[in-house]
Amino acid sequence: MDTKNVFLIMRKEAGESLRNRWFILYTLCFSALALLVLLFSTMGGEIAGYSGFGRTAASLINLVLLFVPLIAVITGGISISQERENGTLPYLLSHPINKNEIFVGKFLGILITIWFSILLGFGLAGLGVAIRGGEGEISGYLLTIILSALLAACFLSIGFLVSVYSGKASKAIGISVFLWLFFIILGDLGIMGTTVAMDLGIKQVFVLALLNPAEVFKIASVLVLSPRFEILGPVGVYAVRTFGQQGVFYLLFSIMILWALIPLGYAYLVFTRFRKEEK
Amino acid sequence: MIQVTDITKKFGNVVAVDSVTLNVKEGEVVALLGANGAGKSTLIKCILGLLDYKGKIEIQNRNIKENLKLSKSLIGYVPQDPLFYDMKTVDILHFFGSIRRVDEKRIKSLLSLVGLEDHKHKLSSELSGGMRQRLSFAVGLLSDPPVLILDEPTSNLDANAKGDFLNLVKERKNQGKTVLFSSHRLDEVYFLADRVLFMKSGRVILDEKPQNLANSLGMRAKINLIIPEGSISKAISILTKEGFGSVSRNGSGLYVEVEEGKRIVPFEKLMQARIPITDFTIQESSMETVIKHIEENGY
Repeated sequence: MDTKNVFLIMRKEAGESLRNRWFILYTLCFSALALLVLLFSTMGGEIAGYSGFGRTAASLINLVLLFVPLIAVITGGISISQERENGTLPYLLSHPINKNEIFVGKFLGILITIWFSILLGFGLAGLGVAIRGGEGEISGYLLTIILSALLAACFLSIGFLVSVYSGKASKAIGISVFLWLFFIILGDLGIMGTTVAMDLGIKQVFVLALLNPAEVFKIASVLVLSPRFEILGPVGVYAVRTFGQQGVFYLLFSIMILWALIPLGYAYLVFTRFRKEEK
Repeated sequence: MIQVTDITKKFGNVVAVDSVTLNVKEGEVVALLGANGAGKSTLIKCILGLLDYKGKIEIQNRNIKENLKLSKSLIGYVPQDPLFYDMKTVDILHFFGSIRRVDEKRIKSLLSLVGLEDHKHKLSSELSGGMRQRLSFAVGLLSDPPVLILDEPTSNLDANAKGDFLNLVKERKNQGKTVLFSSHRLDEVYFLADRVLFMKSGRVILDEKPQNLANSLGMRAKINLIIPEGSISKAISILTKEGFGSVSRNGSGLYVEVEEGKRIVPFEKLMQARIPITDFTIQESSMETVIKHIEENGY
């Protein structure tokens, strides 16, 4: 793999994303809402053990859960399918560049721009907390940023898997939005429904939660921000007692990395090995 | 330079390219002719490594499957309908130039060559069809590759843009580039090609020099001669006697079908008989005529 070609594609993707009006709108919305969250979260004193940076981060988690997976999965979904539909992909491939260089460059280019928007939102909110003389541990806040970045990687990876299988951008967007709904909106309901219907034990519920990267992010974020893990409920208590607070965090962190790597790796194989042709 | 050996490409059960073998020598310009669906574009995409295929394709004696990147660096490709990212003209050249490792000087000289210097800050979507095709040609020439592959490059161009584009290609031909191009148009073939390969149903059914193509296919030009009313019957009689098979009256003149390369003969015969010709038009053999001929007569 030629790193110069990877960098070229990465730069092109990042440039295109930063010029994309939807991406600009998303970044502005996310940043504005992050500031709004900051405003509300700094109005009172300590709530449920959170204060200063911790409370702002806890409030931002819900925002991240809605926005980041949506933009990541959709941007990933159209990344390759749109080029395929436009005909720019075969044209690019007629030049001395390999599919693996295109794939890696695209993924990194888009990921960096999403990370940029996350950093902007968290950065503005963090700056606000600092200006207001915010208290609390900044490490939890930084870990939440890292987890949000990882969540973006997970959903971008899922989006890429959708993209390599789609010949049209509209189809990729449809599937991506469905997956977003499935993981974000229906995820909680699904776990609750399955738990009640199948009379699952705590251990099974915990395993079920691990199958959803958004749930994993939620649990991990709460865990890094709160010294009181009992707010995670019986499943959280079970997990912390079984693996220890640090152990659960490492487990969740590893699962998020797997969620980022497995769909991406499979998408890579499909794009570069199984689907050799680009008409 | 380009050696294609027994290439077969299927899409499901449809055979798009069927056991094609061809050789394009260094410095040679070869035209791929054929109707829509004959397999021209599919063959080109196989040579570019965009499609998987059965058989062997070599560029400069290197199997492209084993040396895909290197092979692609030897080829400049101009597609039928160039599709660029929505970037400025100069940025498109920089982007592809970076992939092909060329410097700023080369990009400037190519912008000048294809006459896009004044449009270099325009977005690709703001360029006309002719400009986009010239930009595509400039991209194809970035690394000064020895092989140019053009897939119906003038099909979306108007007459002026087409003429300009063909002249650009002709200059490359004169510089010794190896060119393989597909076309629907016989005039382009006569203007550029050293050799013509006619494709039908995925197979190459004719390999001929352009000047022999008309005779090989029995192609005829239709000449409409305008002559004084009183001389028309005599003219028909003379031309029929001279062996022109299809001579017929047409208003104030007559139609005569002539083998390619013998267009001057009816003029000579009528002038010898002192029959004045006041005007004339020539209807060239079209690609459709050629295809129809091959469809009807096979080859």
